[in-house]
Amino acid sequence: MSLEQVLVSTDWVVKDLKVPNIRFVEVDVDTKAYLESHVLGAVGWDWGTQLCDTVRRDIIPKDKFEQLMNNSGIDNSTTVILYGDNNNWFAAWAFWQLKIYGHNDVRLMNGGRKKWIVEGRELVKEIPTYPKTSYRAQNPDYSIRAYLPDVSKAIENRVVQLVDVRSPQEFTGEILAPPGLPETCQRGGHIPTAKNIPWSKACNDDGTFKSAEELKKLYASAGITGEKPVIAYCRIGERSSHTWFVLKYLLGLQNVKNYDGSWTEWGNLVGAPVEKP
Amino acid sequence: MPKAEEYSERKTELSGWAVNIVTYRLGSTYYTTVENNDPGAWVVKAEGLTREETEAKALKDAEVLLAKIKKTPPPTGCISVPGY
Repeated sequence: MSLEQVLVSTDWVVKDLKVPNIRFVEVDVDTKAYLESHVLGAVGWDWGTQLCDTVRRDIIPKDKFEQLMNNSGIDNSTTVILYGDNNNWFAAWAFWQLKIYGHNDVRLMNGGRKKWIVEGRELVKEIPTYPKTSYRAQNPDYSIRAYLPDVSKAIENRVVQLVDVRSPQEFTGEILAPPGLPETCQRGGHIPTAKNIPWSKACNDDGTFKSAEELKKLYASAGITGEKPVIAYCRIGERSSHTWFVLKYLLGLQNVKNYDGSWTEWGNLVGAPVEKP
Repeated sequence: MPKAEEYSERKTELSGWAVNIVTYRLGSTYYTTVENNDPGAWVVKAEGLTREETEAKALKDAEVLLAKIKKTPPPTGCISVPGY
């Protein structure tokens, strides 16, 4: 798989803005950002209501996922280009869910919303509408998702490596969540055996991903080389989707899972071991 | 179609937090975001008709919010995170 099949530049987007079978989708942490402005023709997805089960804590159910794709004018052959704020946190979260439901061609715009704005690219406020489609999702592929028992087992057998992608302040338990973000937990610290490699280390100042060589060095310095399976986690699973994308697609690791339960699950468990160095 | 113009970023410290202040103009509106540097998340946003007014509002709101965040220093001897 070539890099362009999963990651495209802002220049690539400008060139293909009006190609009919390409759909641009903005997914932001700040769910009001899309309404302020967005890339021409882009639809906006709200991660808090459209990319999760709104009743129980889970990813979006299959039927709702199909509905979202239908309403966004996306069919099974559409190339979906995702981008968003915070260097693509929730764009990566959406990417991960599209892969769970087997969408074939989904890519991230390198640098996300920030790079588009920094480069002074054109922005619009108009919300586009597209003819409805009849999207058929595949049965979910949970081989890229880690659940609580997988993490408990990883601590016991030490065969699987855990990567905590939160900030050092969250990792040490100094804070429970980044300022301004409400989802939190009862205890601070991290899951035993986890290595702290903050997601942001994988990015350049302009929001783009670092080179494969730099990334390889970064993760290898913490012993993440792909020889063992890896589980990435953060607070609610969006920053770890970003790292999951890096490890799986930019570094080509075969066995990487995103633990979306993350610290808000582990840090709330009664009796779970917590490391607070 | 409008484009983002007058983009600027600058780093400073607010209530003990390293923050990044991002401002740009789109049409006649200025947008400012105050981001917390390390976790990398946005903290507050503001919009207004001048850069000065917009940044001042964002900084004021960010300072109030950041001052409320409780920090618990980690135990000494932490070897996993450089600096502790």
